[in-house]
Amino acid sequence: MSVNGRAVTLTVPARMTLADLLRDKLELTGTHLGCEHGVCGACTVLVDGRSTRSCIVYAGQLDGAEVTTIEGLSPPDGTLNPIQQAFRERHGLQCGFCTPGLVVTIHELLGDNPSPTEAAVREALSGNVCRCTGYQGIVAAVLDVARGASRAATAKS
Amino acid sequence: MRETHEAASGSVIGKPLHRAEDARLLTGRGRFVADLRLPRMMHAAFVRSPHAHARVRAIDATRAVLAPGVAAVITAADLPDVSLAHVNQVPGLVKTPQPVLARDLVRFVGQAVAVVVAEDRYLAEDALELVDVSYEELPAVVSADAAKPEGHVPLLPEVPDDVVYRDHRAFGDPAGAFASAARVFTSTYRASRFVAAPLEGRGCVASFEPASRTLLFWSSTQSPHLLRRRLALTTGLPEHRIRVMMPDVGGGFGQKIAISPEEVAVAFASVQLGIPVKWVEDRRENLMAAPHAKEQIIRLELAVGSDGTFLGLRARIVGDIGAYSYNSASALIEPFMAAKLLPGVYRIDNYEYDVQAVLTNKSPTAPYRGVGWTAAQAAREILIDEAARGLGADPVELRAQNMIRSDELPRMSAPGLLYDSGSYLESLRLAAQTAGYEEFLVEQERARAEGRYLGIGFSPYVEPAGWGTEGMNQIGLHSFPSNDSARVSMDASGKVTVSVGTVAIGQGHDTVMAQIAADALGVEFEDVTVLFADTSSVPVSLAGTRASRSTVVGGGAVGLAAEDLRGKLLRIAGLMLETDPRGLDIAGGLVQARETPSISLSVREVAEAAFFDIGVRAAEPEPNLTCTRLHDPGATCSNGCIAAIVEVDAETGAITVRRLIGVEDCGTVVNPMLVDGQLAGGLAQGLGGALLERIVYDERGQIVTTTLMEYLLPTAADMPNVEIKHLSSPSPNTWRGIKGMAEAGLVGGPAAIANAVADALAPFGARVGSLPLTAEAVVRMIGA
Repeated sequence: MSVNGRAVTLTVPARMTLADLLRDKLELTGTHLGCEHGVCGACTVLVDGRSTRSCIVYAGQLDGAEVTTIEGLSPPDGTLNPIQQAFRERHGLQCGFCTPGLVVTIHELLGDNPSPTEAAVREALSGNVCRCTGYQGIVAAVLDVARGASRAATAKS
Repeated sequence: MRETHEAASGSVIGKPLHRAEDARLLTGRGRFVADLRLPRMMHAAFVRSPHAHARVRAIDATRAVLAPGVAAVITAADLPDVSLAHVNQVPGLVKTPQPVLARDLVRFVGQAVAVVVAEDRYLAEDALELVDVSYEELPAVVSADAAKPEGHVPLLPEVPDDVVYRDHRAFGDPAGAFASAARVFTSTYRASRFVAAPLEGRGCVASFEPASRTLLFWSSTQSPHLLRRRLALTTGLPEHRIRVMMPDVGGGFGQKIAISPEEVAVAFASVQLGIPVKWVEDRRENLMAAPHAKEQIIRLELAVGSDGTFLGLRARIVGDIGAYSYNSASALIEPFMAAKLLPGVYRIDNYEYDVQAVLTNKSPTAPYRGVGWTAAQAAREILIDEAARGLGADPVELRAQNMIRSDELPRMSAPGLLYDSGSYLESLRLAAQTAGYEEFLVEQERARAEGRYLGIGFSPYVEPAGWGTEGMNQIGLHSFPSNDSARVSMDASGKVTVSVGTVAIGQGHDTVMAQIAADALGVEFEDVTVLFADTSSVPVSLAGTRASRSTVVGGGAVGLAAEDLRGKLLRIAGLMLETDPRGLDIAGGLVQARETPSISLSVREVAEAAFFDIGVRAAEPEPNLTCTRLHDPGATCSNGCIAAIVEVDAETGAITVRRLIGVEDCGTVVNPMLVDGQLAGGLAQGLGGALLERIVYDERGQIVTTTLMEYLLPTAADMPNVEIKHLSSPSPNTWRGIKGMAEAGLVGGPAAIANAVADALAPFGARVGSLPLTAEAVVRMIGA
C-alpha cells in the first residue's frame, strides 16, 4: 500500500486494524482512537481519497490502497493548510483529540462541495464527535474556508 | 457591571489571542498518552467484573500467564492492602475503602479484578479470557431510593442501609414560610446518570527504574501532583522519586481529577516487572468503569406568596453515588453540592434540605462539569416554570421579581455561599431580549394554531467558581486546600517562563497564563512560555485543574508573581539608569522613564545585567529573576442565563433545538475567545444531557450502555449555532476581578432545554420529571 505518498510493504496479523497499523507500525500517531467501533470519527483517514474509519477496517483489506492521514494533509514545513489555519483563527479545537479526524473529513467535504451551507456542514460533520468545542468554532472555520476568506487579524496570530 | 467586549487598550488581558498549541494539534503532532513509546514497554489490559455485586472466591491465572506474549498477571494478592481513600474526610461521611484491584468483593460491573501485562494490547486481551475468576453472585442495589433487593447484602457491612452520608439543615424559618404560603408547588426530579465521556479515555504509562528506584509516570490526568502523592502513598515509593508528567490530554471535564485504581495497578506492574507498562482504556471501559456522574433524585417544595414571592424552599435530595466514594469525598459531589446551590439566584432565605448519599452497585460517581449543580438547576428551574404556569404568571417576570438584585451584592445565600458580585436580573433580561421574547410569544401562538409546538426556556444560574480556601469552606469541603502557587522566571535573554500547576486539558491555559504574565510584567505575549505538565518543574498544586479554578487561582498566582518580578526589574533598571524606579514603566518589553521616554532600556538588557553585571548583583539582594507567589482568592461566583428555543414534533417526539443563547458574566475576561469556547462546549454537553445521554443499568446491575451506539453524544447536526453575550461584574475578591466560568453551559443548559420543551408541550399539560427527553419520553409526556 502507499501511505501519504510513500510505498509501504508490511506483514501484519489478520486482525490488525488500519488504525493500529498506522499508529503502531508506521508511528503515524496523528490518527486517534476514540471508540474503536466506528462511531466517533477520531480515526478518520482517506483511503483512495474517501474518508474511512480506520478503526473498523482491517489493514489486510487494503493491499494496493492509497492511504492519506493527517500527517499527509499537513504541509511538510510545519505551516498550516487553509483548513488548519481557519481552525486556529476560529478556536475550532480545544483538546485536539478529534481534530485530525475532522480535518480529514473537512478536506473531503470541501473537495466534494466547495460552498456548503451551514446546515450541509453540520450534516457532513455529524459523524465526527467533538466533546470540547460544541462545534461552534469548527463550523465557523469550515465556512471561512468555503468563503475563501482568511480571517483578518482581529487577533494577533 | 457593564456590557463588555473590548479589552482596555494596550492590555494583553482581554484579547482573543490565538493559542500556541494549536499548530501541533492540528497537524497530528499532539502527543497523547497512547502515542508514547518507551524501550521494552509492555501493555496492560484489565480483567473486569461481569457482576454488579459478588464475592470473589478465587482467581486462577495459571492459564493466562502461559499465554503468548504475557509477562505477568497481577491480582490483589500481589499488592499491599492499600485503599485509594484519602486521609482527609468530610465529617459524617462514612469512609469507603477503594481497592486497587478487587480483593474479596466486586461492587460494580467493570470493576478491575486483575491486570494482564503482555507484549501488545491484542495479546493482553487474548489472555484476559484465560484468567479464571470464580464469583458468588449477590443481589445488586440498582436504585438509590427504591426498596432493596431480596436478600440484600449491604455494600459495606457497617452500613446496613447503604447510606454513607446524611445531613439535614434548616435556614431562616421554613416552617413559617410554608405555613403562610398562598400556594405550594412540588416536584420530583430524577436526574439521570450521564458521564463526561472525554474523547480520549483514561490512560497512563508507568516506568519504574529498579536501579535508582525512581518512577516516571505519564498520565492523562487533571491533577499531576495529587496523582504523584497518591502513587507515593500506595506504592510506598518516596514522593521525591516519583515524577508525574502529563502528555497532551484529550479532555477531562472532571473525570480525570480522581486517581484511577487502574493507574495504581499499572504503577505496581511496572515496579514488579522493572519495565515500562502502558494502559490505554477503550471506550467500553470508559463507559463502564470510569467515574460516572449526575444521578440524583431531588424532591422540591416551593412556597409562594399570593403576590408570587418565593417564600421558602424545601428539598429532599438523594444521590446515587455508585459503589464507593471515589478517592474519598466523591459521594458528596452530586447531592451535597446540589443542596448548597438550590436557592440559586433567588432571594430564598427560608430553606431546608435533607441530603443522602447512597451506595449502589454501579460505577462510582465523581466530579463532572457542573457537579451537583446541574441537577439542582434543572430541578429548581423546571419547578419555577411550573409555578409560573400554575400562577398564570410570565416565567421571566416571576423570576425577575424574585431575583437578588446586583446592588444587594455581596450577599450570603441561605446555605452560606458568598455571592460576591453579579448580574442575575441583567443577564435574564439580556437573554430574553436576545431571544426576542415578545416576538417569540406571538410566533408560538401562531404555530400552535398550525399544530406546531415551539417552546422557550430560561435558566438563570449562579456558579461558585475559582475556589480558594474561603470558597471551599463555604461549600463545606473544609479539609481540602484550594490555593496554588505559581513561579515566574526570566532568563538572561529577557524571555519569561511561567510554571503553574493548574494544568491545561484543552482549555488553553498556556495561552491564558501567558497573557496574564505578559500583561502583569509588561513583556510581549510571544516572549512567555508556560509549563504545567511535569511535577518536577512546577510548584505543587494538589487540586490541579477542576472547579473552574485555573484562571482565578492559578492565573492569580501567576499575576502576583509577575507583578513581583516586574518590581524587581524596575529596581534593577533604576540602578542601571540611576533613577527612582517609581518613575519607570514597563510595556512591550521596554522599560521607560515616564517623564522622559527617551530614557529607556530593553527588558533584555535589564535581565542580562541581573545575571552578569557584578555591580547590579552586589546591589540587589536577590538578583535572580524568579518570583513565586501563592494566591488564595476569596469566594467568588460567576453567573449568567441560558435560553433555549425548541420545536417539538408531537407525533414523533423529536426535538429540534432551534436556538441556544448564553449570556455569561465572568467578571474580568482574560481571553474572550477561550471563554466563548468553554461556554459553547458546556452547552453541547448540556444538550447531550438534556436530550441524548444516559447511562443505563438493568435490574441486575448490568450496564447496558457500553458503546457510543447506545450512549449518544451530541454531534454538529444536533447543535445550533450558540449565540453568546457578555456582561461583566468583576469580583472584589480575586486578582484583577477574574472569575471562573467553564462549567456554565452544563450548569445552565439542561434546565433551559427542559423548560423549553415543557413550554412547547404546555397545551398537553406535560411535565418534565427527568432527562434525557428522548422521543419516547416526549410521547409519554404528551400522552400522560
